Amino acid sequence: MLNLIQTEFLKLRRKNFIFLMLISSLLMPLLAVFYFGAAKKADITPMQFYKWSAYSYTSWIILPVVLGILGTMLLYDENQNDMLKQLWIIPISKLGYFLSKFVIVFLYSVLFMMITAVCSILAGILPGTIPLTADSVSYLFLKCFEIGALAPFAMLPVLAVAASQKGYILPICVTLVYTFLGFILLMVNMYVHPLSGMTAIVINDMPDIVMKQPIDLKSAFLCIGIWSIASIICADVTLRKRQ
Amino acid sequence: MKTLLWAERMKLRRSKIIWIALFSAVMVSVIVYMQGQFLFQGHRYVDEPGWFMTAAQSLGSIFVLPAIIALMGSYMICREEQGDTMKSLRLIPVKLSRLVGAKLVLAAFMSVLLYAFLFIITFSTEAALHFSLLKSAAVLNFLKIYLLQGICLFFAISPIIAIVAVLKKGYWISLIFAEVYSFAGLFVGMQNTARFIYPVTAAFCVSGYYESTLPQMITSILSLFICACLSLLILDRLNRKYNS
Repeated sequence: MLNLIQTEFLKLRRKNFIFLMLISSLLMPLLAVFYFGAAKKADITPMQFYKWSAYSYTSWIILPVVLGILGTMLLYDENQNDMLKQLWIIPISKLGYFLSKFVIVFLYSVLFMMITAVCSILAGILPGTIPLTADSVSYLFLKCFEIGALAPFAMLPVLAVAASQKGYILPICVTLVYTFLGFILLMVNMYVHPLSGMTAIVINDMPDIVMKQPIDLKSAFLCIGIWSIASIICADVTLRKRQ
Repeated sequence: MKTLLWAERMKLRRSKIIWIALFSAVMVSVIVYMQGQFLFQGHRYVDEPGWFMTAAQSLGSIFVLPAIIALMGSYMICREEQGDTMKSLRLIPVKLSRLVGAKLVLAAFMSVLLYAFLFIITFSTEAALHFSLLKSAAVLNFLKIYLLQGICLFFAISPIIAIVAVLKKGYWISLIFAEVYSFAGLFVGMQNTARFIYPVTAAFCVSGYYESTLPQMITSILSLFICACLSLLILDRLNRKYNS
């Protein structure tokens, strides 16, 4: 397994676009600068600022779309170049192959959120919008790590679709629809869709967030767990069938 | 050009992309309908006449459809490189800028078709929910908004699709850029002046989703016109590159 992950890392060196995608982590911190700059409010707390720059749309929309594209890209390139046959000849475990891709997505997701955290701090402090406090910074990093670690699990269904397809069109469309569904379901039911479940876990202990009903962490974890296990099984079965 | 358009249309018939794009439109309707079940002051959103048509058009145009349109356009351009058919096409000979132009025209048509399909779904749902409350003038206005949104959004996205022709395998870039570009429209739409300049929100203005004065409308049309000119400029550069 470690060999597979190492190989995946070596392959990444040839894909400059993957590093270019990290630029999208700057979007929300930049928008937060403009938003709070235009609002000209006094006494903006670090929590208010970070909610905008890191905890909201980044985890609801930007990160899932980026991870969906990344996952599709990792799986599609090998299909396109007909390299899978050679990999199966070595032989490589189908599940190991899928999980090695997942590990890359996981590490990328954590890196993406860490960059978002750093940019959020800079975007808040440099224009003087918020003060630099140890509590808010440590909380920001902790939450960003939480989002970065949970999002890849929530995106496993998309990765499974990408593994089952030779093309990239369907997985990409599924990524868009899946992310949109997760965003809309936040307001309807948080325990059906893994991305909504992830948000429930993230906002659980966040101050100043009022929910109609108390958040049920067990249901949220169960939702992510069921979808993740089902996705891994589906990916394994489809990869075996394609042999 | 007519032959190129015909050939592109025939090629699309073999591809699954149209069905996948239509599936996305169906899913947008289903998801927005689910959101409509949300209770506000004791009433479901979806019970209000016109809410579903408005919400599906606006939410779809920000979160899903621009990326789908960019995907369709870039797919049509990139498949020649991927399938290694570009060499054969150039042997005929086919002028590259014309070929990409034909692909762009077809992508524009597909964009309008996608919105027309979304309109049919949303209108049918509205009619099924509360037919007696729907007014023909309002429905026609929605039809106008949907169709104009389709073409205007295409113009807003067209520079991204044209860049794909230059970058060859840049469909990943086009996707991520289209998504970020349209998503940023959500925030630009909150600014009174910028919403008429930013191409994605300018499309909303021209289509009639945003109420606007004549100068604001002209600004939005100009913004989309600049996008179209930028695409033509990129194509012209591409042609010169190939000729040289």
